[in-house]
Amino acid sequence: MDRNQVKKWLESPAKMGHKYSLWAVYFCTGCGIIEVPPVITSRWDAERFGVLPAPSPRHANLFLITGYVSVKTLKAIINTYELMPEPKYTVGFGSCPINGGMYWDSYNTIKHLDKYIPVDGWIAGCMPRPEAIFIAVTHLWTLIDKGMAKGYIKYRENYERYRENQEKALGRLEWPPLFPVKDENE
Amino acid sequence: MNNVLKQELESTFKDISLSIPEDKRMVITASSVQILTILRFLKDKGYDHLAMISCVDWLEQGALELVYLISAYMKHDNEYTEKEKLTITLKTMIPRENPEFPTAIPVFENSEPYEREIHELYGIKFTGHPRLLPLFLERDYEIPPFRKDFDTREYVKEVFDKIPFVENKQ
Amino acid sequence: MVTTIKVLEIIASPLVALIIGILFLGLFRKMMARIQWRYGPPLIQPVIDLVRLFSQRGFSHGAIFDMGIIISLAGTLVLILFIPIGGMCPLESTGGLLVILYVMLFAPIGIALSGGGGVNPNISIGISRKLILTLSYEVPFIFIILALMSYYRSISIVEIVNAQAHFRWSLFSPLFLSGVAYFMILPAMLGIRPFDIAGAPQEISSGAYVEYGGKYLAFAKIEHALALFIIIALFVNLFLGGGNLLTFLLKMLAVFVTGVFIHAVFPRFRIEQATKYLWFWPTIISFISLIFIQLIRWQNG
Repeated sequence: MDRNQVKKWLESPAKMGHKYSLWAVYFCTGCGIIEVPPVITSRWDAERFGVLPAPSPRHANLFLITGYVSVKTLKAIINTYELMPEPKYTVGFGSCPINGGMYWDSYNTIKHLDKYIPVDGWIAGCMPRPEAIFIAVTHLWTLIDKGMAKGYIKYRENYERYRENQEKALGRLEWPPLFPVKDENE
Repeated sequence: MNNVLKQELESTFKDISLSIPEDKRMVITASSVQILTILRFLKDKGYDHLAMISCVDWLEQGALELVYLISAYMKHDNEYTEKEKLTITLKTMIPRENPEFPTAIPVFENSEPYEREIHELYGIKFTGHPRLLPLFLERDYEIPPFRKDFDTREYVKEVFDKIPFVENKQ
Repeated sequence: MVTTIKVLEIIASPLVALIIGILFLGLFRKMMARIQWRYGPPLIQPVIDLVRLFSQRGFSHGAIFDMGIIISLAGTLVLILFIPIGGMCPLESTGGLLVILYVMLFAPIGIALSGGGGVNPNISIGISRKLILTLSYEVPFIFIILALMSYYRSISIVEIVNAQAHFRWSLFSPLFLSGVAYFMILPAMLGIRPFDIAGAPQEISSGAYVEYGGKYLAFAKIEHALALFIIIALFVNLFLGGGNLLTFLLKMLAVFVTGVFIHAVFPRFRIEQATKYLWFWPTIISFISLIFIQLIRWQNG
């Protein structure tokens, strides 16, 4: 952990700030949320890394999607993701966002979360242990350091493709596009 | 108590078949026009708790079976009477093509969410229901998902696997 | 010469308040963590949070949304200039206490203004609870201030501080009951448990701060740090006889640590329980003290 290296702070304070103050939106999807309260309370303390639960998506910069994503949850996830201020990072938690997990042949869950919102990293397991969550946070620090956690930029640049995929999964979307979408008939 | 109720039911209604498989259960099988009268009869006798409405899909017989679970609320603390220990299961068969059934809301008001769930998952239309909107599902399905001839793997291949990954345009 | 010192004091006073306020925020989290048997974040964690918040691109809901938080922060910053910190008080005047009473309300009103721009109902719930809480603690607060003004025969805070030199603290004088009442309403003024109703994260999603992203939240946090400093400084000046800078800061630390211990132990009140508490015992005690002080004044002619 290089939190106390003043030279790095003076070179790029924004990157170091994002690394050591990751506030996770307390969005409790599926069954994986049972692993998050032990992480943020006294036994496996996450506050010493700067990770806190944030009550509102406007305050947060980390989005943990813990557990399976049904079609109804996908609506709420997309809304919450678009409310968060940039730069923001997403981590898929458990095996269900990766490839469907236990619900790989279900009629109502989406199988690959990567098609609908950009995901920076995955944590394998069903459910992952709290130690796995901490290892994921340190890997995310390395990614942010090297500038490789660019999910939000990918979302901004390829927004039409993401919105197409979202419309295929959800039917007609009730909210207007977040970034200006070029009309095909022009 | 069971035998008293059994005799009353058999004397009031024609062709229902009643069986008592064990001490605190009773299973009644009736035809679909008699269901609401039997429900009203049981409610007047004091069995006023509709626990659940469920549905079974018998593919070979070409019928859907509706199952109503009735019991009685507890009136006094720490004191179960014989009536309150009894659970009654009421079954009926309805045909599988365009299934329709009258709603049980006039008798038991809490059957509204159960009937919505059965409507979206099995396709049974309940006439007289105030709002028959989907409860859990968001998409439209041609065959209701819980029927036995709905192939989930085919559905996933057709709908979810065909959505492409988003590649970065370089 | 005097003007230069005044200008330097005007610049240094908010800086000292900012540094001490942010240090208090970090100390708060570290102490809470240690009370809960875990290691906590480092002491400079609020600085890291502020750096991160300033580098995020927040979302604005319009001009009045931006104006509100600026008014709130400006009001709190101006208030620091009226409070003596150690030996320096840039804008000392003969009416210090009354100015503090009025300008202290800029903070919630500014946030209410920006809450009108945001369209979230949580904001109106949060800000209405904050204003009701302010109304509740203002009643005993007014009695305490009246008792102070009667006893010292002055409205200027600097004169009150100077009259408490050499351990003639207000807490040990006939104003003892007022001091006790002030200590009882201090958690409500600071916004710590059991009175942190206005910014409750679990119940109303942080109430008035729910729509603040990026730099707006950074300003709100700075305003919170400054408000913490101002309220503790007021208590130390009025009742504990603020001395030179070092003694002043040590006294503030003592009051703050007591506040953290109270915060760690209590759950959160509902708003009607808070009003019922604040309008009952602290009001009675401060009213008795006010009558007592008037009787003493009448006695002494």
